Amino acid sequence: MKKFYLPFIAIAFALVAASCSSDDGGAIIPTDDTGTPAVDVRLVGQITSDKTLTSDVIWELEGRVTVTNGATLTIEPGTIIKAFAGTGANASTLIIARGAKINAVGTASAPIIFTSIADNIAIGQISGSNLDENDRGLWGGVLVLGNARVSLDGNATEAQIEGIPASDINGRYGGNDDADNSGSLAYVSIRHGGALIGEGNEINGLTLGGVGTGTSISNIEVVGNVDDGIEFFGGSVNANNLLVWAQGDDGLDIDQAYSGTIDNAVVALGDISDHALEIDGPEGSLEGMFTITNLTLIGNSNTENGEYADYRDGAMGVTKNVLARNFKSESDVELDNNGVAQNFIDGKLSFENWVVDVNPANAIFVEKTGEGENKIIVNPDFTERAASWSSTGNSGGATMSAFSWTYAASRGAL
Amino acid sequence: MKKLILALILGFTSFFVVGQTGTVSGKVIDGEFNDVLAFANVIVKNTTNGTTTDFDGVYSIELAVGTYTLVYSFVGYQTKEISDVIVESGKNSTINVTLNVSQLDEVVVRTTARKNTESAVLSFQKNSVNLLDGLSIETMQKTGANDIASAVKNVPGVSVQGGKFVYVRGLGDRYTKSILNGVDVPGLDPDRNTLQLDIFPTRILDNIIVIKSATADQPADFTGGVVDIVTKDIPASAQYSLSLGLGYNSDFHFKDNYLVDQRSKTDFLGFDDGLRDNPIPTAQEIPLPQQNGEVVEILTRRFEKNLAAQREKSLMDVNFSATAGNQYAIGDNRLGFLASISYRNETQYYDEYIDGQVWRLDDQDPSVFELRPDRTQTGEVGNNNVLISGLAGLSYKTENSKYRLNILHIQNGESEASIFRQVNQVNNSNEIKKDNLIYTQRSITNALLSGKHSIGEDGDWTIEWKLSPTLGIIDDKDFRVTPFRVFIDSETGEEVYSIEPSESGDASRFYRNLQEINLAGKLGIDKKHKLFGYDAKVKFGGAYTYKQREFSIDQFAFPILNVPSNAYGGDPNQVLADENIYDADTNSGTFVRRDSNISDTFDSEITVAAGYISEEFKVSSWLNAILGVRFEKFDLIYTGRNQTGDIFDNATILDKADFFPSANLIFNLNEDEDMKIRTSYSRTTARPSFKEASLAEIFDPISSSFFIGNIDLQPTYIDNLDLRLEKYGEEGDFFAISGFYKSFTDPIELSFIRGATGQFTPLNLGDATVFGGELELRKNLGFIHGLDNFSLNANLSVIESQQEYSEDERASRLDNLRVGETLDDNRQLQGQSPYLINLGINFDDEDHGWQAGLFYNAQGKTLQIVGSEDIPDVFTLPFHNVKLNLSKSFGEDRNQRISLRFDNILDDDIESVYESFGAQDQLFSKWNPGQRISLGYSINF
Repeated sequence: MKKFYLPFIAIAFALVAASCSSDDGGAIIPTDDTGTPAVDVRLVGQITSDKTLTSDVIWELEGRVTVTNGATLTIEPGTIIKAFAGTGANASTLIIARGAKINAVGTASAPIIFTSIADNIAIGQISGSNLDENDRGLWGGVLVLGNARVSLDGNATEAQIEGIPASDINGRYGGNDDADNSGSLAYVSIRHGGALIGEGNEINGLTLGGVGTGTSISNIEVVGNVDDGIEFFGGSVNANNLLVWAQGDDGLDIDQAYSGTIDNAVVALGDISDHALEIDGPEGSLEGMFTITNLTLIGNSNTENGEYADYRDGAMGVTKNVLARNFKSESDVELDNNGVAQNFIDGKLSFENWVVDVNPANAIFVEKTGEGENKIIVNPDFTERAASWSSTGNSGGATMSAFSWTYAASRGAL
Repeated sequence: MKKLILALILGFTSFFVVGQTGTVSGKVIDGEFNDVLAFANVIVKNTTNGTTTDFDGVYSIELAVGTYTLVYSFVGYQTKEISDVIVESGKNSTINVTLNVSQLDEVVVRTTARKNTESAVLSFQKNSVNLLDGLSIETMQKTGANDIASAVKNVPGVSVQGGKFVYVRGLGDRYTKSILNGVDVPGLDPDRNTLQLDIFPTRILDNIIVIKSATADQPADFTGGVVDIVTKDIPASAQYSLSLGLGYNSDFHFKDNYLVDQRSKTDFLGFDDGLRDNPIPTAQEIPLPQQNGEVVEILTRRFEKNLAAQREKSLMDVNFSATAGNQYAIGDNRLGFLASISYRNETQYYDEYIDGQVWRLDDQDPSVFELRPDRTQTGEVGNNNVLISGLAGLSYKTENSKYRLNILHIQNGESEASIFRQVNQVNNSNEIKKDNLIYTQRSITNALLSGKHSIGEDGDWTIEWKLSPTLGIIDDKDFRVTPFRVFIDSETGEEVYSIEPSESGDASRFYRNLQEINLAGKLGIDKKHKLFGYDAKVKFGGAYTYKQREFSIDQFAFPILNVPSNAYGGDPNQVLADENIYDADTNSGTFVRRDSNISDTFDSEITVAAGYISEEFKVSSWLNAILGVRFEKFDLIYTGRNQTGDIFDNATILDKADFFPSANLIFNLNEDEDMKIRTSYSRTTARPSFKEASLAEIFDPISSSFFIGNIDLQPTYIDNLDLRLEKYGEEGDFFAISGFYKSFTDPIELSFIRGATGQFTPLNLGDATVFGGELELRKNLGFIHGLDNFSLNANLSVIESQQEYSEDERASRLDNLRVGETLDDNRQLQGQSPYLINLGINFDDEDHGWQAGLFYNAQGKTLQIVGSEDIPDVFTLPFHNVKLNLSKSFGEDRNQRISLRFDNILDDDIESVYESFGAQDQLFSKWNPGQRISLGYSINF
């Protein structure tokens, strides 16, 4: 591959030399654009009627590709989709709008892979050779938007998903149908995404906005995303066998009163990851409680942050059957402010059966305060109370055998 | 003894000046029409010495030093005698006179030169058929204003937003039109329809006229007012001047920790020498480092490496200007020239600048009133502003024609460096340190070629034409933002900095270019005739304006691959340091990524073709009427595309042909015509700007907001009613009380989009009304014993505005009401101030050359940002600005002047707050402009 580039580099240097000799410092360097792809494999614009992506070619995703209301996008097992670079409104994303469906059901031996155009993965392969989990932000991500209820700022009933300008109404999510069906996603691996879409705001690997219980989500892997791995914006969909590895921000992120169950999940931090879990509460007056069960969290000693979990801003739900290991000594599970601490006191936020590889186990659970606040969980305090649900050990958490199909497993990350 | 010496000196002085001469010149104005009076007689009483005015109403007589009485007359008009006209050696005295029509044979109005203080501007105002207010260069000098933006604040009902944009009667820049010498020029802000006025130095001005009621010969696209900036005309006699000024602000100047960007060699001249040029052509494809690392490395190395705000000592403000003008006789004709150049360099440093803070309502519990902080943001800002302007004019006057060629260039460079600390608490939870470097280069180049011809035996036809091309350029060159997330190291307790794209974004920079070409042409024909036995005038003509704007953004980010950024210690310059740039061999380092989009760029054209006819006539001796109609054909042609695949290629997206009727009635309440009632009705329009009527989707990294164009936007139509009673007295006394009512159909406002925080789009909202009153008083205080030299200048406007909500806004407001709070049917217009106050006391002792003025200016609490969802409304609080000017003329013929000026005597802050029902106000922004002392010196020769 390197040799293939050589002539281009030679030309590039010649041009740079030429441009340096003139006043114009801005000469154009021809770049290797990976050849001219066949037009028929390029997905652009809107998909307004049913369409199937077959596994015999590598598909390309360019710009914002939207499956609109009424259409179903079917993706065969083993299909590879490579996305172009781009940021902001140009970011390459696949959006399943409200009323549209995705039917992307792979198998353990033939997963469906979303990756960057820079990835040299070929048909039939599980991974390419030129990228690793630290290659992030090379394209956007996958967004599934539905009609389930969402708790929004100012009590609006629908919202525009982050990263899609409001001029595109296909970026709307939220509604009144908690049983809404956006289709099925199974054995899907999403890699190297997370393009910038605003200041400090990037697309998540898999964004689920207002997705209802009629939707089936299982065996999903997100690797090397700039922002969060999988983010749930409200909605009620249940999901199982989720894996997030080496994300730039948080592993699993819950917002806007997501009320479904996440069963059997793994978050493995990378060198720049932030929290494994970031859980926010409702933004409007609508409340909803999440359930996370059978969860393994794997820490990283290189990352500057790398906390276990941050429960913020009125979070409510239960997190249970957790195994957490290899985190830095100062990492914690924190209640961020009085609002979320009050939910804990009121029983709206609870913890069960946490096994961690530090001793004493309950030391990782801390109550923090916002500006001008005092701690409100006292006698006993939050850390003391955590002794009742935490223990020191190395067993429990997720069933790891469910993830043997993943890219992460093939790279020894688990 | 002293008296004797004085008498001796005076005696000697008069001895020496015997045989020397001076001039008297001025303009004779036709009180019947707001026009000049050509061929009027000007005679020195009891002599045969005299002259006539030219077709422009201008006269000039050279006389030996002494005191004279001048007699002004014209057939069918009253005669005016002005006594005590003093002619001094080598000096020109200006006397402007208005003559009114006389029904009687012989009416002679007698006054003294001292009482005839009527300036050309005030008589223009008095005789205008429009409702207007003028501001002469003399008044501007009294207030000590440096630029138009600060001068125009003294006009009733005028406020200035952000020191740049003029609001007339509180109506925003959308409804206020700024024109230069009567023709359109490009605005210098991509987000605005109008021209920013702080870049026009007062030195190049003759006067500013603010027209508040429409007549058919004015463009139809204004509602609050038209601000016409009139540059200097050719002087009546030789005139050369120099001036120098210094400004010192104890908060800003000679501070060691002033923040500054790296300078280019030409920054002090108001432009960048290429240091901040974009090194990457728009057509350059930037590969991912994983695709072609070598090319990425080369491209990354092309960028200028300085990203940090640097510290150095700040300097004080300086300005100077020079003007030269003269007139020469060429046979019977006259050739005049005028040249002016001015330079201004101002420095500001704020050590505590709070801006862009976010406070939110409690979403879950409407019984909680207090707001909670989401984002606090405080920083230090250093700003340097350089302005150079040059004006050159030639005029040629024959017996019946006048030609004028004017070329104006304004060059402005503004450099800003700041370091901000941002603490996020709700939407994010982090602390960010940001270095921002900004350079904006603006220029306007305008040429005006105009002609005026008087045709017919009695000069009863007047033809006036103007051709004016303008090029406006704004280059936002290399805006750089480098954000570091700040942590406290739990062991050492010290701050640790790292660049985290998901928290603070990557280091980024952008280059933004706007170019606008305006071509304006105008032809106006006036014909005097008789109607109902009185003089009448018909005006007709046409105008054509072509505007073309190109807008583009090149935006880049600098992500860091496989290198821990906390090793940089928070130093922004490490990001692009040679050793830290991407290396393909190690697959690590900083690389460049293009972040701009196809939808950031657009190219639009506007054409306006207009025709008008109006009739100005008298129905009786006490009623003037002006009825007219204007036709305008407006087309907006757009080229651009958006992400959802819509492409417009030279598509006409707006195509409107409208009639705009107007009626003005002026009732003269007495024979002297110094007390009048004016009423007027007009229909006007407000059109969407280039950017608004587009498919543009533009992310603004400075405000972190997303602008979405609205290609379906329609123009707003406005019905305007005005009523004013005015009284003109002697010695410049003036009193006026007025009321106005405006009804808006489909007003446009930048609105938020529900459920899409931080995204804004212009919408045609529900209807709006604005009504109010104005009071204006200019009074010489000579009626109080001992206050002969004092005069009072006061004006007050009170304005009520009512804007209906958009659907989204109403729903959002209803959903966020606090317990016990009710929603009004409407709110005030964005940017509409509920009141404006200007107060001034002037002291003017001509005998000793002293002038002083104390001024107060404030505007009421104004809705600055319309709240959305759980973020409440932001209001700008009144800024109580008190300033004092002092000047002394001295030297031979008082040709030198020293002036001293104190600004912001109350040391007030500029402040905006969030306001919510039952809650304590919380800061959106706050800074202190400091107290400035300026010293100026000028000399005429």
